[in-house]
Formats: sequence, C-alpha cells, structure tokens
Amino acid sequence: MEGRDNQTPQGEIARILVEFLEVAITSVVFLKGVYPTGAFERRRYMNLVVHKARHPQLYDYIHVAVNGLFPFLTRDLIDRVAVVFLDVDVLPIERFVFKLNVNQSYSSKVQQAELEFSLRSFLIKLPLSEPLTKVLPPNCRWEITAYFRGLPQASTSKDVETWIPSDAKQWQQPPVITPIKSMSSEPLSVQVYAEDPNPSVS
Amino acid sequence: MSSNSASKSKRSLKSTSSNPSSSDGKRKKTAQKTLGMAWGANSRPSSRSAFRNSPFTDVGSYMAVKNQKLHEQFNAAASSSSYSGSSSGNIFSGVSIFVDGYTVPSSQELRGYMLKYGGRFENYFSRHRVTHIICSNLPDSKIKNLRAFSGGLPIVKPAWLLESVAANKLLSWTPYQLDQLAAENCNQAKLSAFFTLQYNEAPKIANTSVDDCDNQLFIKKDEGRASLEQAESCNEEEIDLLQLKTDRVMSEGPSCSVESSCEVKGLEQSDCSPSDMKNSDLEYKSSPCKASVSHCSNSLDNYSSCEASSSRNCLPTNQLHSTLSDPNFVENYFKSSRLHFIGTWRNRYRKRFPSLSNGTTSRVSNPYNEGSSMKTGVANEKNVVIHIDMDCFFVSVVIRNHPELHGKPVAVCHSDNPRGTAEISSANYPAREYGVKAGMFVKDAKIRCPQLVIVPYDFRAYEMVADQFYDILHRHCNKVQAVSCDEAFLDVSDTKVGDYELLASIIRKEILNTTGCTASAGIAENMLMARLATKTAKPDGQFHIPPGKVDDYLYTLPVKALPGIGHVLEEKLKKKQIRTCGQLRPIAKESLQKDFGMKTGEMLWNYSRGIDSRLVGLIQESKSIGAEVNWGVRFNNANDVQHFLTNLCKEVALRLQGCGVQGRTFTLKIKKKKSDAGEPVKYMGHGYCENLSHTITIPMATDDVGVLQRLATQLFGHFHIDVGDIRGVGLQVSKLEGAGDSKRGNKRNSILSWVSSTSAKEQNQNLISDLPKCGESGLSYIHTFDESFSDLEAWRPTDGVLRQPASSMKGSSIEMRAGSETGIYNSTGIPPLQDLDVAVIESLPPEVVSEINEMYGGKLLGFISASKNKIINTNIHDASTKSCEDSGVAVEDMGSLSRAHLLESNTVATDKVMGCDKEEDLDFAAPATFSRKDIMPSSLSQVDSSVFQELPEEFRKDIIEHLGHHQGAEFLKGAFSDVSDKQTEVEASDLSGLWVGNPPKWVEKFQISNCGLLTIFAEIYLSGSGGCLSSLLQCLMSRIFVFTGASTDGFGNAGSWLHELFKQYIDIKITTDVEEIYLCICLLRRLTERFEFLLQVYNAIIPHLQASMGEHYGGTLCIPLL
Repeated sequence: MEGRDNQTPQGEIARILVEFLEVAITSVVFLKGVYPTGAFERRRYMNLVVHKARHPQLYDYIHVAVNGLFPFLTRDLIDRVAVVFLDVDVLPIERFVFKLNVNQSYSSKVQQAELEFSLRSFLIKLPLSEPLTKVLPPNCRWEITAYFRGLPQASTSKDVETWIPSDAKQWQQPPVITPIKSMSSEPLSVQVYAEDPNPSVS
Repeated sequence: MSSNSASKSKRSLKSTSSNPSSSDGKRKKTAQKTLGMAWGANSRPSSRSAFRNSPFTDVGSYMAVKNQKLHEQFNAAASSSSYSGSSSGNIFSGVSIFVDGYTVPSSQELRGYMLKYGGRFENYFSRHRVTHIICSNLPDSKIKNLRAFSGGLPIVKPAWLLESVAANKLLSWTPYQLDQLAAENCNQAKLSAFFTLQYNEAPKIANTSVDDCDNQLFIKKDEGRASLEQAESCNEEEIDLLQLKTDRVMSEGPSCSVESSCEVKGLEQSDCSPSDMKNSDLEYKSSPCKASVSHCSNSLDNYSSCEASSSRNCLPTNQLHSTLSDPNFVENYFKSSRLHFIGTWRNRYRKRFPSLSNGTTSRVSNPYNEGSSMKTGVANEKNVVIHIDMDCFFVSVVIRNHPELHGKPVAVCHSDNPRGTAEISSANYPAREYGVKAGMFVKDAKIRCPQLVIVPYDFRAYEMVADQFYDILHRHCNKVQAVSCDEAFLDVSDTKVGDYELLASIIRKEILNTTGCTASAGIAENMLMARLATKTAKPDGQFHIPPGKVDDYLYTLPVKALPGIGHVLEEKLKKKQIRTCGQLRPIAKESLQKDFGMKTGEMLWNYSRGIDSRLVGLIQESKSIGAEVNWGVRFNNANDVQHFLTNLCKEVALRLQGCGVQGRTFTLKIKKKKSDAGEPVKYMGHGYCENLSHTITIPMATDDVGVLQRLATQLFGHFHIDVGDIRGVGLQVSKLEGAGDSKRGNKRNSILSWVSSTSAKEQNQNLISDLPKCGESGLSYIHTFDESFSDLEAWRPTDGVLRQPASSMKGSSIEMRAGSETGIYNSTGIPPLQDLDVAVIESLPPEVVSEINEMYGGKLLGFISASKNKIINTNIHDASTKSCEDSGVAVEDMGSLSRAHLLESNTVATDKVMGCDKEEDLDFAAPATFSRKDIMPSSLSQVDSSVFQELPEEFRKDIIEHLGHHQGAEFLKGAFSDVSDKQTEVEASDLSGLWVGNPPKWVEKFQISNCGLLTIFAEIYLSGSGGCLSSLLQCLMSRIFVFTGASTDGFGNAGSWLHELFKQYIDIKITTDVEEIYLCICLLRRLTERFEFLLQVYNAIIPHLQASMGEHYGGTLCIPLL
C-alpha cells in the first residue's frame, strides 16, 4: 500500500508531510513545556536542531497518530491537524493548527529537497513564534485532532483504526487566530496558526 | 593423621569427645585452621609416647588436659609473681607467644618476660591462642610452607620482646620479623601485619571480658564448617559478638567502634602496625575485630581446602583492605584520602567565602592588570602580587602541638611501617635535608632517614588551619585567589599599604600566631614571579622580586623551576641544551611554538621573560567532577563490582550536589591489570594497567544517585572485562550545568524574557524622560527596534549562520538606545555637538533627530550631512550605485537606499523566520524614519555589508532582489515624474479582477491614476516585488515620498481602489496564506500613520477580513495593538 502510494506524487508528498508533522508536533509539545525538557532529546532534522520524544509512549502517540494520517493525506482527506492543549476540565486552552492542502491534481515529480526546504522554515519559526513561548498552566493535557474533509471510506477500515471519530473540543467563542507560518507551493500548502481564546470574551 | 585429632583436642573438649575417631575427610576441611598445631604436635614426638602410656583415650584428650594444666600453672605463676601487675604494666597484654626452637634468650626467659608483663606463653602451638611465634631461625621446609607452619601468624625475633620491655611499651613487631621471611615477601609484609592485629587484639578483648568466648566461637565454627551457609552465619555472629566486645571495651564511646575500624582500613595504608600514636590507638584497636571477621568470611574457601600454600598468604590479606572486605570502602577511601581533601576543599572554601570570591572575580574584570604583561622596564609599579604558601602544611599542622617534634624530621603518611609502601605525602624541612620527599615510599624514606618520625593525617586540623589562613588573608586583602588549602595569591595593588614587604610580614606573623604554622611569601609584579619568589623565600621567609630584578632573577633560574615545566618538557629542553631561563630567552617564540606546540611554546617564551598575564582572582569553573579509586580495588564477582559502583555513584552524586551542578556526560574509567603484570609493588596498588573508558551522554543533566547508578552499570556492561583484573574504577561527570538551569528549561527559548527585560528598561527610560513628547515617540520606536533585534538574538541559537548579523544588529540596537538616552538627557544638559556620535544619531528615528536638531538650533543637521559626505566617499556602494551623478540627489538616495537596505535585511530575515507581529513593529518604525524628507535617514552601510555577508544564501538573494528593485526604482524616477504629471482619468468602473493577469490588472490602472501613491504602488510592483502585496507594502514603507499635493483630491478614488485591491487580495489568499494577509494588514496599519487616508482603507478592510477569517477559520485574526 505504502509502496504504491509512494510512487504517486501525492504519496511522496504525504510521506514528507507525515515526517514533518511528527517533528513539528513534537516541537510544539516540547516548546509548550507540557513535559520536562528531559523527556526530549535533541535530534537533527533538515539540518535543524529539533526535539524527539524520549518517552516511548509519548513518542508512540505522536508517531502512530501522525502515521495513521498517511493514507488520508494521500487522498487529501485531511483539512487540518490540530494540537489541542486542554486544561484540567478538558476545555481547550490553545490550539495549534496545521492546515494542509495537498494538490490532488499535481502530477509531476515532487522535488523533495524543495519541499523540505519550505517545510524547514516552519521548524525555524516555531520556536520563535509568540504563542509557542507562552507558558501553559500546570496539569494541562493535550491531544492531536485531525479534521477530515469527508468521512473516510469503509474500505480503508484498516487505516481508520488509529483514528476514531470524536467530538472535537470546540471553542466556546470564536478564537483569535495568530498566523505562525504559511507556505504554499504547487504540490502542497501548509499553514500553521495558533488559536487562542478571545481575551475580550473570556 | 593423628595430629588432626591432637589439634582438635586443644581447642575443644566437646568436639573431640563427641567425635573421638574423627573422620579424616571431614576434618580435612577444618584442618587448615589447625595445621599449625599439627606441626606443633609433630615436632614433639614426646606427646605421642606420652599418649601411648596414658590413661587418655587419645592424644586429643590428653593434650587438652595437659594444656589446661599448663595454663593453670602459668596463671598461678603470673598471679603469684610479685612483680607482675601495676608497676610493670601490661605491655604484653593480648600477646601470646609460642617459642619455636632455639632462641636467645631462652624460651624460659621469654616465658618469664611474658609472665611479668602481662602476656601469655603457650607451650604448644595453637592458632587461636598464640598471637606471635618467636624464633630466631627456621628450617627451609617451614619457610616454604609458611602458612602451614605459622597459620598466618607473625614470626618474630625474640629481640622484639626484649626491646618492647626496654621501651616499656608494645612496639610494632614488623621490624623484628624473621629476616628470612621479611626478605622473601617484603611487599606482603602487611599481610602478616594484619594477622598480628587480629590475634593481638581479638584475644585481648576476649580475655578482658569472657575468656572462653573465643573458644566458643571457634567451636561453633568447627561444627558449622560442613556448610558454607552455616559458617557464614556464625561469622555474622562473630562479627556481632566482637563488635559488642569492642564497644564494651572501649569506654571512650561508640565513635571508635566499627566506623573507626573502617577508617583505618580505608587508608592507603600498607601496614596496620599498632600505632604509637596515642590518639589513633583506638582506631587501631578496633580495626582487628572487623578485620578478623572479614578475614574469616573471605577465606572460607581457603579453610575448606587443607592445602596451605604460601600463596594464600597474600590472598586473604589482599582482600582485607580492598573493596572486598569493606562494604563502605569507597566512602572510607575518600574519607581518608588526602587528595580528596585537597580536591574538595575548594568547595568548602567557596561556601565559606562566597561573596568574597564573587566579589573578587567581578572586581577583577576591569583591565587594571593589563600592564602586568609588560616587560620589566615598563612595568606598572602598581601591580603587586603576594603569593603566600604555608610551609609543609600537612606536617606542620600536625606537629604544631608537639613541640618535641620541632626540628626533627617528620613526615606525614598513612602508615608508619618502615617496610611499607605507603607514600609520604609531605615531609618537613629537617626531613627534606635527608632527601625525604613527598611521594616516596616509607621504606625508602626510612633508609635515608632512620629517625624519621611518621605522623598520620589530621584532616580536621587541616580544615581548621586552612580556614584560619584564609580568614587572615581576606582580612588584609579583598582580592584573594585560593590555589589550594595552604596556598593563595593576593593582589595588593590597590591596597593603601605602601610597603608590601611589611604587609607580607604582618600577614605571615598573623598566620604564625593564629595557626602555629609558618608561611612563606613571595612578592612580585605578577603571579608567576610571586610564586617563584616564594620558592626562594621558603622556608618561613619572604622574598621580593622588584620588577627591575626580574631579568637577573630569571637568568640563572633552571627551567624546571618554572611552573608548567615537568620532567618531559625539561628533558626536551635539555636536548636543546637549555637549562636556564637565560638560555631559553634568545629563542624566538615561533620556533618554540613549532617545537613545543602553540600554547606551551608561548608559555615558555613568556615565562622565561617573567611575563604572566593571568589575573589574580580568576577562578576557573571546573569542567568535570568525578571520583576515582585506584587503590585497594579487587573484585571477586560482578556483585562486588555492582556494590562498588553503587558506592562510587553515591560519592560522585554527593560531589555534584556539593558543587551545585548537574552533568550530562558520564565517563566510566577502568584500570585493567595488564595481562603480564604481577602483584604491584605498592601494596594494593594498581600496578601496570591499561586504562579503558566508556562515555555516555544523556539529554538532561542530572545529579541523581539512581540515574548515576543506572548509567554506571550500563557503562560497565560495555567493558566485557574480567572483574578480577580491575585495579581501579573512576566515574567522571562532564558537560556540567548549574543545577538550577534545567528548571528554567522552557523559559530559555522564550523571547518574552528578552523583550520584557528590554521593555522594562524602556519604561524606566520613559520615566526618566522629562520631555514626554520626544521621549515617548522616540523611545517607542527604539523599543520596537529592540524587540526585533532581540528576536534575531533569540533566533540565533537555532541557526548558527545568522549569528554574526544578529549580534552586530544587536550592537546597533544598543547604540540606538544609547542615542535615545542622549536625546533625553539633552533636555537637562546638551552635550557639545562634536561629542555626538553621528552614526548613533543617524540611527535615531527622525522625530528624535529633529528634536535634537532643534535643541542644537539646527546645527545638528549640518553636522550630520557634513559627516555624511565623508561617509558617502567611503561608501562601498558608491561604485555600484549608478545613479549618483547628481550629488544633491545622491546624498538623499544614498541615505534612503542604505537605510532601506538595512531595514530590508532585517525584514527579510524577519520575513523568513520571525513572528509576523514583530515584523509589524519593525515596519511601524520604518515609516517614522522616512516621514521627514528633510532629515537624512541614517547610513548604516558599514553594518549593512557585514550583515549582508553573514546572511545565508537565501536571504542574500532576497536582499539583492530588493536592492535591484530599488535601483530600478531610481531609474524609473525620471519616468515617474512624467507619468504623474499626466492627469489621467480615473475610471471608477470595473474594479473586479484586480489581481487577474500578469502583471495584474490593477498595476496598469494605478499606473495611469492621478494619485501619486497609487502610481508608486504600480511602480514598485513593476520593479519586481514578486506579486506579493506584503513585500510591496514593505517597499512602500522604505520609500521616501514626495507628495505632489495636487493629487489629494484623488484620494477618494484611490481609497476605494486600494480597498478593493486589499479585499480581493484577501479573498485570494485567505485559504492558503493567512500569514501573508496578516502581514499586509499589519503593514497597512503602520502605513496609516503616514497616510491618513489609508486609515479609511484599513477600517473598511478589517470587517471584511474578519468575516472571511470567521468563514474559513472559525476565528478572528489576531491584530496586534500598536
């Protein structure tokens, strides 16, 4: 399955995207300080210092969740992937949204180096963006939520296993959106932005 | 063998009677213990004959009765003899001798001595009653099979007894060891030493309280011999019993019980000879109990085989002081290690004088000592360094309370055994005259100086004296650099004392009065010379090398005297016929560096000239912390190693915690015995070893014992080494971080801390400012710049490439702030014009500059442009700027160009990586800069070029692009005026699809509009802003505008056009690039500051934007407040 997908440009894009998401989500979690710094180890990705979760469960969660998106990404079924930080009452405090758009009609060969170069800028910008440097309240939790453009087909039930439909934790009020980074290229567009509760409302 | 049963009978009636015809096989196991007796029995054939005719069932029972009778006789004689007891004392108490063969004096005479001085005399040998075997000669067979003969007991010449009587105290027997034996195993002397103690002391304890406790124990043991477990359990009992006894016997208190015994054993001590020192007596007394126990437990397997070979002699002993026997070996090892004391002393010192040492370092940071590196002639008279060193600290502290030892050769060492391989750690001057040196084995030292008195360490006293020493130093001088516990440098340059020699002598006198120890002082202009001077001054003196005499002093000085020159380097120099500094001097620095390496070469060159640029008080932070044990390390199995590692980790963890640091890299070092290396010369030393090490780095620094243990075990697993070959283990921790650092963790990568600190400063400045108008406007811009710079700064760690530009920008931002301060302070008092830094002023926002200009009555601008011309002449962009024909315009353009250039390099960088909000700030600052045409924007081309060169390729490309566009803009200038002159009709129709086409439709429309701004829009677009509205707006901001004024009435149209332009742009970008929209909005918002009509555009566009955002993203765009 994977092999076949890899041959299409979409499969190639999805593969890069999955890899990128894994790193980026780990970075977000690391930067928000949910876990002690020791829970991460420094790694190099795209010639950048990034962090990788050391704890097997944490690593597995991110890894499995993101890799579970692979088949959907190839079909461009995913609209957004959000890292949602929740407080003790499981209410969202902050969300980091990766808005994805894989060009389904793109058919020429994917320039992996170029794509990675564009994605690299996300990883550079993440540690410096203002929303990521704000400290979360203690005892918060987090989850990865993916927003699908449509319900996946039953035929892909094997892949669905890792992803279950759920009620997304919605904001009570429209949030304030802070763009962090956007990238749009021919085969792939990615936008990262933070959603924070509207200070005027809360 | 009949001897077996004979021996048995001696010890225990019970066992013999119960098992009269002892089965040989079973006995064999125990036989080892009794072999000595076997020999004893053998040597007396009479016992056999007696047995034949006696009513006794066997030899055993006969001997038991006989021994009993002999004891009774002896006891009776002892008690009846009028001379025993109080007057003569009990110098032999606890000593029980067995005389073997012919001796002078005879055995009967010796018996008499024992009677008289409280000892015991055994007619028949028993390993358990006899503590010493006295003989003058031994047959070869016995020497070969020494253990079988002696049972491990010391074999001593009769002279020992005689001389002990003469000295009226029990002397150490070791010097009196039988020559044959001593010659044979001199390095194993301590093994027998150990046994002495055991049998010397154990019986003593037993005798004083329960006489037969001893016997009971051994009976138990005999019975339990069958199984190891039992033996072990009874060993345990024995331990308990003995320890109980020890406690009881020693009324002094519990402190000297088990702990003290361990302490003795932990020492790097080759011999456990009974000490003559009164105060250490207790420790020594208690040690045997412990030692004997460990002996028993460790050599159980030895017991089980009846083969008694001499090799066994060393086996159990080796284990005694080693990691095997002492469960707290590591702890005790360090407790009694002098090196450890010295090593950890610094921490203690830091804790004691924390403020002082800090103060020293901070004060030192001023470059007062710059001149000290000067050569003698020019030397700054002010620099005076005193080096103070206590004279043979470790000896003099110990003997200061022993006036009788003054003037006598004394050395400090763990052990007083004249044959020992313990190393002397310090010797006093009388001893040094004999050639006794530190590091020498005691036995060698004793050969050179037979009357050498050896004293043990007294760490408590060392600590006390060291504290007193530093108290005195700190009282006299505030710049003290501690070198060691007994050595320090003082920088007395700025003390008011004129006469440094007097000061030194006062300090020395105070040290003598307070501590009772002498110190020497060297006075010179730098640390090197001071130290050398101290060498001359020693002992108990002081020496001053004035700058003028340095050359003479050094000329004849052997190179070896210089610090940092050891044997190897000395040899190398010798080969080049260099022996003195004078001979070293003619050699060029380069050739020295070639021969000896950069650093060493330079050091040689400097030192031979008396140059030393080190500053007093610079304390190097330690880079690694660890603990290493290379003595007494012997392991039997993996468990021993595990146990040892655990203890080592505890020690290391304690040290880490003591220093308040945590480490990330852990290195386990192992000394592995070389395969061909035998038992080392030094007792329990490591001998010839290979050094192996493994390292591991973990992500988070730690000082936790548990983690350390885990890592140590893991590292040890990498070695695949036979535990028996391990002779030393060390654990070292490096990549140290302050213990507090990790807690801050996440904060480190936050810019907020940066920004908030700078903004706090700004606020302060605002408060100071009494010109609110100038202050507020000016400072707020600076604030934004600061922010953007600090962004860059914060960004730096992620990508090293930008480091250079970031820091240089940082530099300029600081300058700017300095500039703003100038602005503020101008209100109170204006500095003269020529004092102003043009570069700084140029960096200021125009408002501020104009304010300042007003203050200077308009002279400022002239001043700036005057210097500006100069800058232009040197401007590297001169050549590249082709449009500079007209100098008047050129000045303007140059200013704007390079200004824009800098800004762009900022913004481009920001664009790529920064938060957009920051960018907005930046852009906000920009229009301010360009708002007033009459003020020159700063020319920062020099910063610019360096920034530019350091920028990554991608950024450089962008900048070039922008630069090119600017130049293009200038070229277009001529055409532009033509176009704007044409009053083109504005068609209000057809505003849809403004972004359609390439170039988009709006460009053409705007180009022909009658509004200056719109034309500029089009113009910028055409000159290559890349179709991106945000970069267009950015360019717009870096432009200087000439409003023709005529077109103001066209604003209404222009507004709606622009509105449409933005709106359509938002619609295009909303799904894919919200960042771009965000940037545009921010830029637009800033532009409203300059063009009021844009405010309408802005206000009109926001609702549309937010609606779109809500539609596409379910939220509102965060628009930062200005």
